[in-house]
Amino acid sequence: MLELTAWPRQTWSLFDELEALQDRMNRVFGERGYSYPSRRYASKRYPLMNAWSSEEGVTIDVELPGVTPDDVDISIMGDQLTLKGKFNAVPEKSDYAYHAQERPRGEFSRSITLPFRVDHDRVNAKYKNGILRLELPRSEAEKPKKIEVKSA
Amino acid sequence: MNTAVAKTNSQQDTQREPQYQRHYMPNVDVLEDKDSVKIEVDIPGVDRNQVDLSVENGTLTIKAAPSYQHPEGFRAMFQEWIPGSFERAFQLSESVDTDKIDAVVKNGVLTINIPKREEVKTRKIEIK
Repeated sequence: MLELTAWPRQTWSLFDELEALQDRMNRVFGERGYSYPSRRYASKRYPLMNAWSSEEGVTIDVELPGVTPDDVDISIMGDQLTLKGKFNAVPEKSDYAYHAQERPRGEFSRSITLPFRVDHDRVNAKYKNGILRLELPRSEAEKPKKIEVKSA
Repeated sequence: MNTAVAKTNSQQDTQREPQYQRHYMPNVDVLEDKDSVKIEVDIPGVDRNQVDLSVENGTLTIKAAPSYQHPEGFRAMFQEWIPGSFERAFQLSESVDTDKIDAVVKNGVLTINIPKREEVKTRKIEIK
């Protein structure tokens, strides 16, 4: 159901590889009871999402602090939703010395499979305080139909 | 009319300090140039008036609580982050001027600018 596309970062780093491995292991073994990646490293490579569904559609909240809304590219193909963009954590001045650098930087890309096809024309995206909320209404043709049972 | 206003006010108060079960240490970038120190904090979901900044005995404390609303009438498909409050503290050096701290919140990022004291700024000495 859920597919991740981790975009390669600019430079290869052993720590990143180990973090990615730990992340994957946590997912496989469901560590910490209900498995969810810790904010620290997961958000460095792909934005975290919360998704809800109902008969009417799907609502997805994506954590994207410090992103310019125009830099986010949302596309839907069939039942695949893809988010692309870049975190702009690079300062405008270059003569800064870094004492800590934990915030995500660079490009991200993430795809998920939606449980049903959505009505492209009625998709609504709002960005507020660093959270992107996507409202994806289910297409009318795919809504469940009630079938009445007649007594013979 | 008056009661309606009072109601929204009390709602804002409860939104301001919701009781979160989870507390996160937010991701930060700490940068320094010759005039100032800059701290950038990722606090997604937090509005300007939900941030609490304080300096005590040279320790800068950041507290922030987002007002996050789940969509109604939906059931969760998957949940990768659970809303919670953010908290982090920094020990400031004596070379910065804590009276001139400036903070801005934009797109879920808190940027704190702390200027250095005049006497510690690098000065160019002219050779006569």
